[in-house]
Amino acid sequence: MPNASVAGSATTATAETEKAAAEALRRGVSSQFGRSLHIRTLDTGSCAACEQEIRLLAAPHYDLQRLGFFFTPAPRHADLLMVTGPMLRAFGVAARKTYEAMPGPKLVVATGACALGGVYQPDAFSYGSVDQLLPVDVWIPGCPPSPLALLQGLLVAVNRLAERISGLSFVAGSES
Amino acid sequence: MPQWFVRGLRRGVVTTRYPDHADASASVLPSPPAFRPEELTGQIADRLVQVCPSWALSRAGDVLVFDAGACTACGQCRESEPRAVATSGEFGLAATDRSALVKRIPLLREAGQ
Amino acid sequence: MTAVKPAESRSLPSVLGGTDRSDDPVVVAPVGPSDLGSVVSELVRSPGSRLADLFASGSDPVMLRLVWALDQSRQYLITESEIHGTQYPALSDIAPAAFAEECEIYEQFGIRPSGGKPLNRVAMPPQSDIDLPRLGCAPAQPPQDVHAPHVVGGHAFEFPFGPVRQVGVESLYYGLVTSGEELVDLYLFTWHKHRGVEWRAQGQTPQQALFHIERTEGLGAIGNGWAFAAAAEAALAIEPAPGALHSRAIALELERLYNHAAAVAALCQACGLAVGRAAAEIALERLLRLNAAVYGHRYLFGVLRIGGVRRMPDAAALRTGLPAAFAELRRAGEALLSTNSFVDRLEATGTLTEEEALRLGLVGPVARASGVAADVRVDHPFGPYAGLLDDAATQASGDALARLNVMLAEAAESVRLINALLESAGSEQGGEAGVPVPAGARSVSSGCGAGYGTDPAGPGAPAHGSGLGWAESSRGESLAWVELDSAGRISRARLRPAAVRNWRGFDDACRAENVFTDIPIIEASFWLTVAGTAR
Repeated sequence: MPNASVAGSATTATAETEKAAAEALRRGVSSQFGRSLHIRTLDTGSCAACEQEIRLLAAPHYDLQRLGFFFTPAPRHADLLMVTGPMLRAFGVAARKTYEAMPGPKLVVATGACALGGVYQPDAFSYGSVDQLLPVDVWIPGCPPSPLALLQGLLVAVNRLAERISGLSFVAGSES
Repeated sequence: MPQWFVRGLRRGVVTTRYPDHADASASVLPSPPAFRPEELTGQIADRLVQVCPSWALSRAGDVLVFDAGACTACGQCRESEPRAVATSGEFGLAATDRSALVKRIPLLREAGQ
Repeated sequence: MTAVKPAESRSLPSVLGGTDRSDDPVVVAPVGPSDLGSVVSELVRSPGSRLADLFASGSDPVMLRLVWALDQSRQYLITESEIHGTQYPALSDIAPAAFAEECEIYEQFGIRPSGGKPLNRVAMPPQSDIDLPRLGCAPAQPPQDVHAPHVVGGHAFEFPFGPVRQVGVESLYYGLVTSGEELVDLYLFTWHKHRGVEWRAQGQTPQQALFHIERTEGLGAIGNGWAFAAAAEAALAIEPAPGALHSRAIALELERLYNHAAAVAALCQACGLAVGRAAAEIALERLLRLNAAVYGHRYLFGVLRIGGVRRMPDAAALRTGLPAAFAELRRAGEALLSTNSFVDRLEATGTLTEEEALRLGLVGPVARASGVAADVRVDHPFGPYAGLLDDAATQASGDALARLNVMLAEAAESVRLINALLESAGSEQGGEAGVPVPAGARSVSSGCGAGYGTDPAGPGAPAHGSGLGWAESSRGESLAWVELDSAGRISRARLRPAAVRNWRGFDDACRAENVFTDIPIIEASFWLTVAGTAR
């Protein structure tokens, strides 16, 4: 889904068209990706811990294939791009080429605190977050996000689980 | 080669039943903080903003802004101000809207403010 | 025994064998630039000494430091040379292990070895629209970045590979030179993941910087973090309590265990053995859950603190969970070593001779698999390791199989060490987690949360200085050097994880009679990270 934080987003009219398209895509996501989803990963400057948790998705304890998720090395074959790291500027060209090599419809999942804007601030070395360069559909926090957190994020991305973060307040003792 | 089959069969299935069933292993992992507004004075809020190494905390007037997306669950805020900050124990934080990860916690209105 | 403040400088002859040699684990010696070449020649020739690091700091003049590990005498020797102008003696002709560092120093500080040899690009990307800050002055000309020409019957073809590679691995960009299937040469580019960690550390307090250093190479959070913490503590002249050092050592061995399990899984994947990979991943997952139960984080982030630790281990959880988790790894290893189709892929693959390992200054299991018995837990005991480990596990054949065997032997040793540490920790009084940080470094103690002592050191206590720290991470010797200013903030932080040394061995290992399909096997047997070198 197009994201308003991508650099260069334009007028209100364009934003509304994008929003309508996003709604249509969201309704279509379950039918497009709900039963079989192919995932390509992209490291834009991570510390390697996120990659280790992602690799464990295919391990016996988690077995993402039982949920219809598969890894693929070919961007052409991929439906979803799982992006780690703070989007280093030196990596920008490689990141855009990978994203553009994926045919639509496609989803982008920013994975881990670095990708979401934590750990690294925007500076000369990095954009600070993935959504500064690529349109992000789902954000998965964690440092690193555990394989269970990654599974929850993927299931949310394909609309098989409802997101619950908007209902959480992070206030101690409150009902959420 | 047969040794692999025998071992595997003997060990049994280790695969999680998530999402059909909750997985207890998630509950022991670090989680973002939960704040106690009744303890959050402006001074404490400023200290918390200083302590956070990942820029997940900032102050907007009489509100503490907490970005659960930037949070690494390192626990330094909780260690620094244990009365004002607890562990949330929350799991499953994926967002389809970046702003859903940013929470505004009201600060304690102190006498004379 | 942690890294202590560097001893008084001595004239070199006495350091190299004179009768008044100090017993300090770290000795610092000034060396005039004109003497540097002959000093390096002498050190390279002395037995039991190796060049552990080469780095620079400052500008006009630039201070060039060489760190020599004198393994036989259990000392580190740091030579300091002030370089005025832009050149210094060519050291990599004498010590080939210095070449990558010479390239890095040229990019960051603008000084180069004399002789005009071409230097490679290390951290600065070739894109002209990206201008990255440096630690010192920019070089007068960019590095030529020329790789040696190759002639293989006149048909060698060179192509870049990556940085986006197979799924679930870090980005890595390398140049492959091939005549078809045979691998003629392989060289790495690392600028695509360079995050400027050393640059960003400048101006931070050691405690603030530690958060980022743990996350420089996440799979080496304890190994690299301990080296950095020890360097900062040496600069601050503080020493963590024995209980805290025990906690660090247990965490370090747990880190070694899970990394070795992950390497076994990667080897199985590279060989296409899915059952082996699954078995190793079950072991890996159990070890990561053990980390979470014992220290509160699967990757052991947040355990360390400047002056001590933030967390003591849950000894009950460790005693309950470790035997079963290790048994999974041990059984997987035994089954793999009796699976001929797997062993055949590793035997004679990616061979590194002992001579190559020494010449390139390799460390860790990679070096030990080639017969180089260097392990800083033995040679430069730190924390509670003195007397705990007599010998490092070594092999002689230097191939991927030897590296696997070393890792499996080390895993078993780590379990023994953890048990020994749990036993002796019981007799340490308290479980004291940290020592107070001196008041002169006021900016260190503020903002670090609970746990710091409130008694500042006396008015005469040093508030700034420099220090060397080290630890044996799962990949090998990790070094760090920290210099603080008078406010206790970092003026220079040098990080040298093991990956910085060992990636150069990867190039050589791939070249020795290997084909394309061997590359993933060699890479898995090294089990390095890109993040550890592109930092």
